[in-house]
Amino acid sequence: MAVQPDMEKKGFLQTVGDAAGDVFTRITAGISPGEFRRMLRGEAPGRPNPRLKPHSDTFLLHIKPTYYHESVTRFTHTFRLGLLSTYIFLFEVITGIYLMIWYAPSPDRAYADMLYLLSNVPFGQFMRDMHRLGAELMVALVTLHMVRTYLTGSYKPPRQFTWFTGVILLVVTLFLSFSGYLLPWDQLAFWAVTIGTSMAEAVPPAVVGETVNLLARGAPDIGANGLLRFYLLHVLFLPLVLFLFFFVHYYKVVHYGISLPANEEEVGQDTANKIPADRRVYFLPDVLIDETVFLLAFTAFTVVASTFFFTAPLESIANPQVTPLHTVAPWYFYWLQGMLKIADKTIAGVVLPGVLLVLLMAIPYLDPNPSRRAKDRRVAIISGIVAGVIMIILSWMGTPQYAAQAAPAVEVVQELMPEEGAGLVREIGYSEVPLGVYDSREHPSELFEPVNCPIPVQIWSRIPVISVMLPRCEENMHDVLHEFETSIQAWQKSDPDFNNAYGILTVTQEQAQLKRLNWQVFWQDSTGLDSSFERHFFLHENSLYWEEYGFKDFSFLTESEEAEQ
Amino acid sequence: MQKRWYDFLYVKSPIVKIGLGTLAILLTLGVIALQLLMEEPRMEAQTASWEGRSIEIGADLFANNCASCHGIEGKGLQGVAPALDSRYFFSQRLNDVGFTGTQDQYIALTLHAGRPSKVDTQWANVMATWGSEFGGPLRADQIDHLVSFVMNWEETALAQTPEEDPWQFFQDALSKQLPYDPSEPGYQTKLDQAVAAAEAAGVSNYSIGGVEVQAPTADEAADAGPRDPEELFTTMACIGCHNLDQDQTPDNRGITAPNLGNLAEVAGDMVPGQDAATYVYNSIVAPNDYIVEGYLPGVMTQNFAEQMSEEEIQAMVEWLLSR
Repeated sequence: MAVQPDMEKKGFLQTVGDAAGDVFTRITAGISPGEFRRMLRGEAPGRPNPRLKPHSDTFLLHIKPTYYHESVTRFTHTFRLGLLSTYIFLFEVITGIYLMIWYAPSPDRAYADMLYLLSNVPFGQFMRDMHRLGAELMVALVTLHMVRTYLTGSYKPPRQFTWFTGVILLVVTLFLSFSGYLLPWDQLAFWAVTIGTSMAEAVPPAVVGETVNLLARGAPDIGANGLLRFYLLHVLFLPLVLFLFFFVHYYKVVHYGISLPANEEEVGQDTANKIPADRRVYFLPDVLIDETVFLLAFTAFTVVASTFFFTAPLESIANPQVTPLHTVAPWYFYWLQGMLKIADKTIAGVVLPGVLLVLLMAIPYLDPNPSRRAKDRRVAIISGIVAGVIMIILSWMGTPQYAAQAAPAVEVVQELMPEEGAGLVREIGYSEVPLGVYDSREHPSELFEPVNCPIPVQIWSRIPVISVMLPRCEENMHDVLHEFETSIQAWQKSDPDFNNAYGILTVTQEQAQLKRLNWQVFWQDSTGLDSSFERHFFLHENSLYWEEYGFKDFSFLTESEEAEQ
Repeated sequence: MQKRWYDFLYVKSPIVKIGLGTLAILLTLGVIALQLLMEEPRMEAQTASWEGRSIEIGADLFANNCASCHGIEGKGLQGVAPALDSRYFFSQRLNDVGFTGTQDQYIALTLHAGRPSKVDTQWANVMATWGSEFGGPLRADQIDHLVSFVMNWEETALAQTPEEDPWQFFQDALSKQLPYDPSEPGYQTKLDQAVAAAEAAGVSNYSIGGVEVQAPTADEAADAGPRDPEELFTTMACIGCHNLDQDQTPDNRGITAPNLGNLAEVAGDMVPGQDAATYVYNSIVAPNDYIVEGYLPGVMTQNFAEQMSEEEIQAMVEWLLSR
């Protein structure tokens, strides 16, 4: 491009404009500024379609189809769950690398690194919350993606192998989430993973189980070696496996096309790749805009949620000597924990999940029904729903609510002030727990009435939208005691060995800024014998406790303002 | 393609879609900017929060492991273990023992490695090695929590008047100077206590706050007359291991040494051929001659016959049996 002759011929402005347009076309791999404007206006492309060039010229776009069938681009056909699953993996990679900067996989350092990340790294807590929320969403989204595929029958020929790789991706996702669970090296992590890996021990025959367990833990119990192994699984091996199977999966998706809504083609036909010219929706610009806007909206949702409503839990440091009350697996393994409660470890922990997994992978090869229409698939859909309901019931059985209750008095105290985590008392905090001796009988549950308490978050209360979402206002000492009595009454009704019960809470000043809460529960068993339970906890003025889900406590903002004044 | 009732929800115009995407970006950036403003106070609050939780955990560990000797409120137990919620401990102790590090390091060192000395000490029990690296029961992080908890006394301890300071100055070789200003209220009381304790402990050439204390010679001690058994029970550190208020029964046994609440009833039946007075007398002057089942020989001080006069030991036996 000779500049001087051009300038003489076309003038300065024209030359600069042409050069800018040229640069734009190079960057977009073939879309001229004029074409770009036409895209934004929603105008049809010219012929031949200049918008196909980026697909052949660029690496990232060549894996995307150039056009889709109009019916599959509707949001309610796929809910874009596959795209979302892929995106959230990328999201986890980015937030995960941020966390890796401050993390060393060693029992001596891991937990201290967590505290450092939370208290000294800008955006450290934000990134950790996002990573954890993303992990839980990833499990949920991948599962929903599978449910959608099942309900629309999209696993049927020729997409059997796509489904098969999808099940592998689901398993890898579960393992990814589970292996990340151990890394903070807190009690929650340690015991959830101890329970999880102990299932590997149940693999028959005994010698195989022991070997698998030893390979996973690196020692008979989880320690330095186990943490390192889980770390390497989490950041290296499993992401690589996921990466590989993702490309196999996506290649198959593009190769066969996204299955059309069942009623748009004849039974037994697959016309996803024969898209009539008038039904084509081009990736550039329509699908690209849809997907980008959708992912941006999802990102905004995740950012808002982890800023205001989600806190990644961190309990006290892992202690192999102390098993906390109500140790639970992550929620997506509740169903497994539920099965373990009703059946033998080998059957419920290894054989049944293994059979279920093989069955899940084999569904497309076993299903003889060629139709994808709902009215032809009543058996498949109903059995799918029944399986879902069974999973929900098993999950409920996996929670501590079912068949894992401690003595009533222990549960009453655990509910208000759990051994690990927040609980009502720690949430209202030091300043809302005045010194004194409190008797639960003076706070009968029938008289329970929410009391107006001062809103702790004055900054937010000036913004009307946020003040609507502020924590419920009955969280103060008065309501703790009502809750205490209500809980005792509820246990009295359900347990014949827990009669005439009452509780005494004694709050004393242990040190400057440190209160001691002494919980006592007195009751009579069915023979009239007096019994009591006592447990003390300490509460420091500065300690903040946040529940995993719920509006975060931003009171530190007003407190630091008060300190400055 | 069939129409559905929710079709109106679909946005058709690319410009509107791009507008919505821009809004999402602005919302994301806005929330991140909001976080940026909050990061400073948030990190401060988190730092304070984890320090607070460390103190909470330390308080629990203290209640379970330390309070039995150092007192529930860290006020110490006479003859057993020194006070920790003490102005002297936070202001002067490091100088007196010649420790060049900081207070928290001193506490951490003592917790990890213990105090392996039974020489020239007024304390009945040795400080055990608590750190797991020295064979103790606590992990390093647990000791860190305990240090946080003990350090949390600093503010209130430094505000104590000399009179309120529960530290006991007696035989402790280097603490010869009271670290208080003579003009402070309570100085005289503390000085009197310290002199009385030094005299009771029988140290020589002891100078406390300018008051010279001479060890009473054997003659002088005789001149001064026998000391009160109740007072001796404390100054000889008996009280550290023997509980006078509890009975010794199979269900309720003293931990280090038998409880003495019901001594008068049981003393006569312990060793055949010895009446109550003989048994108690022998137990003081030669503790290893008869060890009650379940206790260890050599735990009790072996030279009480040298530390107390014959008359005082007899008075002690009489007092113990008459209670």
